[in-house]
Amino acid sequence: MHPLYGTTAVAGVGLRQYKRGASPLPEQAVLVEAILAACADAGFDPADVDGFVSYGDDKNEPVQLMPALGTRELKWSSVVWGGGGGGVAGAFGLAAAAILSGQASAVIVFRALVEGSSGRLSAAVMAHHLNDHMLAAGIVAPAQVCAIRANRMYEHHGVPASVAEELVRASYYHGSRNPEAVAFGQAFDLEEMRSSRWIAEPFRLFDCSRENDGAAAFLMVSADRARDLKRPTVYLLGCANGAEKGWGDLLENDDEALYPTAGFRSIARRLYADTGLSPADIDVVQLYENFSAQGVASLIDHGFCTYENVAEVVRFDNLVAPTGKLPVNTGGGNFAQGFIHGIGTAYEAVKQLRGESANPVPNAKICLLAGGPGAPTVSSAIFGSEVP
Amino acid sequence: MMHANDGADAPYWNGLAEGRLLLPRCRCGDWLWPAANHCAACGGEEIAWVDRPMRATIFSWTRTWHRFGLTESLDLPFVSIVATIDDCGIRLLGRLDDPDQLDPVIGEAIAGRSGATRVEGRDIPTIIWSRG
Ligand SMILES: [Zn+2]
Repeated sequence: MHPLYGTTAVAGVGLRQYKRGASPLPEQAVLVEAILAACADAGFDPADVDGFVSYGDDKNEPVQLMPALGTRELKWSSVVWGGGGGGVAGAFGLAAAAILSGQASAVIVFRALVEGSSGRLSAAVMAHHLNDHMLAAGIVAPAQVCAIRANRMYEHHGVPASVAEELVRASYYHGSRNPEAVAFGQAFDLEEMRSSRWIAEPFRLFDCSRENDGAAAFLMVSADRARDLKRPTVYLLGCANGAEKGWGDLLENDDEALYPTAGFRSIARRLYADTGLSPADIDVVQLYENFSAQGVASLIDHGFCTYENVAEVVRFDNLVAPTGKLPVNTGGGNFAQGFIHGIGTAYEAVKQLRGESANPVPNAKICLLAGGPGAPTVSSAIFGSEVP
Repeated sequence: MMHANDGADAPYWNGLAEGRLLLPRCRCGDWLWPAANHCAACGGEEIAWVDRPMRATIFSWTRTWHRFGLTESLDLPFVSIVATIDDCGIRLLGRLDDPDQLDPVIGEAIAGRSGATRVEGRDIPTIIWSRG
């Protein structure tokens, strides 16, 4: 069995989320609140946290958090490379690596984003990639980068553009029923979506995730230790991070077959091989959707459907809990739960497996967390409420 | 942020500024893009910058309607494309003339001319493509 399989676990979670620009506290203070909430959730003394992992250029260097948390000794602080949300799931693998190798014993995985402190996320993401080739073409934003790939998937690979709408509707449906979601209580107006303004074709405004302020934190410990803490144990069953040859930061010269994908083909292959699980074993998916088409491409990469049958699978009725066969983004996803660089999708993975989701999936035991799609480096993880 | 003329692709920018499309090819025959000083296929370091006609096919495209920062010099909407250069397979980012807002078609033949894009007071050499 793979060393990651069921050997570490999330023992506590904390989330603080506000509308963009509306955080009552600076970024670091919001993050400290989320970490303290995660520790309180687990019944764990925050001073005993000895490791920290983040991703996507988080600005909060862990050593700066020590006074507020009362940290006794910092033993591990690391980030997943890459400016996009591709590292969100990989951060859990990095935390597990620290714990399993004995370099730390209680690791917080976090992401914090408060616009007043860190500026716009899209600008930070693009700072990694922007060059004169892109500037000359007027390509300056993640929406445009993803739009070009989306058009290729729709036009050349025959994916009907209508599937994007199904995915967006499912996220808003779940978000409208989740008291912790930005879209809570809001009726979703299909006409408003269809007539929303163009951003970069094929994306209208409603095809794009919109940033929120906030922070989320996850306390990871060994599986044995998690079982002694007060919350239901959510096991990490597997995690894969990286890029294969022909994918990455290649100035649009990716391998032709990989070009319209979300970059997860090698990730999904490894994740399923390492865990012995397959798409049929996944009860619920938390899917990072920066843009609608990339969410669809991610579902294809992870083996839930193909270019040919995507319209049969990515249907609103099939994507919503409790009756859909492929419940996706049961908290509302980045679109409707909130977008703190995707960390909310991991939060919902834990809530769902603990039976605490606002949109529970009956008997959900295995949850896939599919990280930020289309990033040069991507990652995914599988969590379980038990170790099958 | 990387600017023109400070990387392995400097000959590309210098060529474009003179109205020529120069692309790098290793002695083994491989075209290298992103440009590199070393060929991963054969390990060679003899890279020649070869003149190519500005003829291509459309690989993919987007039409931008939102005013993103750094695009202020471009009239909205504008079309950005990925173009596959004929007979070498290198894909380049560029812009496509879009007078009638006819959607580009993947695989459509296009011809380019050298132009420039003004960004923050700098003129960046740019291939401007048009149909036919
Ligand atoms: Zn060579």
